Order: sequence, then C-alpha cells, then structure tokens
Amino acid sequence: MSKIKPAVLAVVALVAITLPLYATPYMLQIATTTACFAMLGLAFGLGMRVGLPRLDIAAWWGVGGYATAVLMEHGVSFWLTIPAGGLISVIISFLVFSLALPRGMVAFFVFSMVIAMAFSQVFGSLSFLGGWGGITGVPSPTIFSFAFDTQNRIYYLGLLFVVVTIAVYLAFYHSRIGRAWDAITSSPRLAGSVGVDVVRYRMVNILVGSFFIAAAGSFYVIHYHAAIPSVFSFTAGVNTIAYLFIGGFTHSLAGPILGAFIVTFIPEYLQFAQTLRPIIIAAVVIFILMFLPAGLLGVWDNKIKPRLAARPPERRE
Amino acid sequence: MSLSLFFQILINGIMMGGTYALVASGLTLTLGVIKVFNFAQGHFLMLAAFATYAIVVALGLPYWVAVIVSFCGMALLGMLIYFGIIARTLRHGFFNSMLATVFLATIIEQGSVVTFASQTRTLPVVVKGTAKLGEVTAPYSRLLVIGISLVVLIALHFFMRRKVGKAMLAAAENSDVASLMGINPNRVFWMTMAVGCGLSGIAGAIVAPVYGAYSSMGSVIFSRALLVLMVGGMGSMSGALAGAFLIGILESFAFQFLGYWNLLVVLVLVGVLMYFRPGGLLGKPMPLPGE
Repeated sequence: MSKIKPAVLAVVALVAITLPLYATPYMLQIATTTACFAMLGLAFGLGMRVGLPRLDIAAWWGVGGYATAVLMEHGVSFWLTIPAGGLISVIISFLVFSLALPRGMVAFFVFSMVIAMAFSQVFGSLSFLGGWGGITGVPSPTIFSFAFDTQNRIYYLGLLFVVVTIAVYLAFYHSRIGRAWDAITSSPRLAGSVGVDVVRYRMVNILVGSFFIAAAGSFYVIHYHAAIPSVFSFTAGVNTIAYLFIGGFTHSLAGPILGAFIVTFIPEYLQFAQTLRPIIIAAVVIFILMFLPAGLLGVWDNKIKPRLAARPPERRE
Repeated sequence: MSLSLFFQILINGIMMGGTYALVASGLTLTLGVIKVFNFAQGHFLMLAAFATYAIVVALGLPYWVAVIVSFCGMALLGMLIYFGIIARTLRHGFFNSMLATVFLATIIEQGSVVTFASQTRTLPVVVKGTAKLGEVTAPYSRLLVIGISLVVLIALHFFMRRKVGKAMLAAAENSDVASLMGINPNRVFWMTMAVGCGLSGIAGAIVAPVYGAYSSMGSVIFSRALLVLMVGGMGSMSGALAGAFLIGILESFAFQFLGYWNLLVVLVLVGVLMYFRPGGLLGKPMPLPGE
C-alpha cells in the first residue's frame, strides 16, 4: 500500500474545511453528497482488502437510511438511529454471509448481488416504509438544541462522518486484524495455511463495512430529508464500486474518496446534457478501466512520481 | 385450483424458463470460458427486443427475419464489444472487465431511455389463436416462445459438441494449456462472446411479442439469470438449463398466489437451496477466477 504525503493531506484537509467560505450552496450540497458516497466507496475498498467485491452496498445503505427515517418519524433521536440501523444491517449481513462466505469469493459475489436486488424490492413493497414513494420530510438532527439545519452544518457533519470512518478503518488496518486482512489479500490459501481463520476475518471485515455503510445511509437520509427506494437501487450500489477503480485500486482510503469526488462533482458541470450524463460518466469509467487500470492515483504512483524523484540512474553490473 | 389454470401457469412458467435459459446459458458460457461476468447480458435482450419492434412494426418485415437479424446483430455486437472493451480490460483482471460491462449496461439502458423515452412498445401477436386439449388451453404465441427456445437450446447443445464448442470448453478449463494444444484463445473468446450475446438476441426477439419492448427489461431478466446461475451452479451449462426452468415455473406459481412478493419467495428458496447444495443443482461448474 502506498502512502499519501502529509503535505497533500494537509492541503486536502484545508480545502475541505474552508469549502463553505467560497462554495455556492449548490456546490456545498454536492460536496455533502460526495461525503456520503465516499463512505460507500471506502466500505467497498475495505471489502477489497480481503478480496471480497461487495455488491450489497445498496442494501445496507438502504437499511441505515430507512432505520433513520422510520425511527425519527417516531421521535427517536438521530444519534440513536445510527447504531440502530448499523446493528440491523450487521445482524442481517451476519446471517446471510455466514451462508455465503465459507463458499468462497464467487458465491459471496453473487449472494451480495442478489441481496442488493432483493432489498430494493423489499423497500418498495413494504407499506410502513412508504412504498415506492418512500418517506419524506425527515427532520434535521439536533444536539442539545443545536440543529444541523443549514447546508454548512450538514456539510461539516458529513465531513465528520468521513473522518470517523477513515479513523476507524485506519485503526483496523494497523491492528492485528488488519495484518490478517493483508495476508488474506495476497493469498487466501496461504493465509489459511499459516493459521489465519480466513472466513472469520473476512466476516469481521464485512460486518465493519456493513455498519459504516448503514451509517452512510443514515447521513444520506438526513441530508436529503427523504428515504426513497429508487435511490437505494442495485445500480446505485454498483456505481459506488467504480469510485475505488477510478481513484486507484491500491489506495483503499484515498482512492474511493478521489473517485467519489470525480464521479459526483465533475458531471454537475455537464448541465447541458442531463439525460446523457450517466452515459458520459459510464463512458469515462470504461475509458479509465481500459487505459488507466491502476486508476488516477496509480498514474501518479507509476508515471509522475518516478519522474519527480528523478535520480541519476544507478548502474548495476 | 382448476386444471386449466394449473396448466396455464405451468405454460407461462415454462415460457419464462425458456427465456431465462437462453440468457443464463449465454451468461454462464461467457463466465466459464472468458471469465467475464457480463452484466450487459440482459441488456442485449432489451436491444434485441427493440430491434424486433423496429423490424416488425416500423419496417413491416416478417417476424422470422426479426429473429435472425436479432441473433446476428447481437452476435456481431458481442464480437465488437469483446474486441473493443473486454479484451482490453480483461488483461487488467476480472474486476476491471466486470466493471466495464456494468457501465456498458448503464450506457445501453440509459441510451434506450433517451431514445425510446422509457415507454413500452407493444408488438402484434405473431400467431393468433389458442390450442385446446380438453379443458386445457394455451395460446399459440406462448407455445411459439417455448418452441423456439427449445430448438435454440438443443442447437446450442449440439454446437457445444462440435469442434468449436469443445475448443470453448477446453479454453474454459485452462486457456494456457488450451493454447499449447493449438487452440487460439482469442478466437475462441470472441466466438464465445458472439454466441453468448446472440443467445440473448434470440431471447429478446421471442419475448418481444409477449411482453413488448421496454428499457428496464434488461435488468429484470438479468436479475433472474443471476438466480438461475446460483441454482444451477456458476459456469455449468446443464445447471443453467435446469435452474432456468425451475426458476421460471416457481416464479410463475408464486406470482399466482403472492403477486409481486413472488421474487422474494423465490429468493428465500434459492437461499435454502444454496445452503444444502452450495455448488448448484447439477453438473460440474467450470473453474472460475477468485480463490
């Protein structure tokens, strides 16, 4: 895994924190959406750390979102709905994936795909979830009479969510569990042979991911004040996995964030072609997959960085 | 439940099963041989349905022309997509090629929404009338779908026994060793892609008169094809056939009793089946990338 330099990190943090000073409200709203999508992309990156491509992101995203929407309708505080939604998605994903995980990567892959499809169907069919119209008018969260009701406050809340997610993931990556994950990434069989319980460590990874995906769903719902089933569709979940590949496959933290930023932000300037926008994004993604397989950060790692650090070539006989 | 109703549901189920079998065998073939999970498999069906609409309604040509043109057109498109996108992403790994097909599916679906304004185009019935056998009745149009899909599936079976089909199976087993035996993997791969997409093309042409042509039909069929693959085993051809008819009939009966909850019931049953037969119902699946 390659590291991002502290200077770059400082610039990104500075831009992110001072964004409300010079951004238009519309731009800020997109930036907030980017924060939510970045969390989804990060969860996909987390899954790829153990070689599992999660296509079930949309399912837990929706579970978190609907948990927040329904519970807040009944007067529960937003801060309690996050663990509630997270817990529900963790329990369901444990039940489902204890079936699929021992069967290997392809079984997991298909299971996760089918779950995402099933959940978007369930969200639309259940009447207490508002049917296909969804739940609208979700109130803003408050903390001690301080309401997150302006765009700026919601933006900073989203930023906090992303930072907490990254902090937790980093803590995992640098722990014993993270080292076991790295062993599984390089070869599940080899890891198994040296005594790493592959299925169990993968399960931990999936459950952590599910929790944070649900948290992203909670945040999305209070950002848009609505939970609508078409938002949590299978395709929406699949689009989030492009973030990692656009940003850079080897960067499981910086990659999805850069990718989410590019996919969410730049198309907003393609206003001339609203209906053609998904086609343009898809074409760009296919182009990146074909010609820049390591993603944009991969270009930086492989092409630009070696040139910046141009030392006189060492001669080896 | 009366006997006539039972047979009506059964025929519906077999008809849907035949369609699923065509799409799923294309999907399982490309997955097994090229190791590409083609997310656009269902969308080729949608394109073929629109092509059938264009040929039958707009151009006024006979229906069998539409079936042949759909097959050839989708096979050609599959070949072009193999050379244009899949061959170039496949060398970067399984996920790159899979994601490329995901976004290809987005392009096709959104393109059809832009072009056809997401409304259903209905086609005239190909053959009118109903077959009667005592109490049991079956419309000829649905029997035609069953007939064509069975003929194509049998043709596929014999095709896989010929030299080209054997080369495909050899490349599925191990493309490096196959190339040592004088099989050109690249040639086998584009042919597989052409056959897989062509199967979806025929499926699209035969369902178009029954369901009409609409933009989201690709993803609907694709989700069923996934279930079929789970039931039949990934990369197994005979499994795809068995799974397709099973899912089709199950779905059709569940729809009769539960309405739009039928998919969930099918999903639960598939989950239970996966618990007892994780590798699928039948056959030995082809080796897949991953572990």
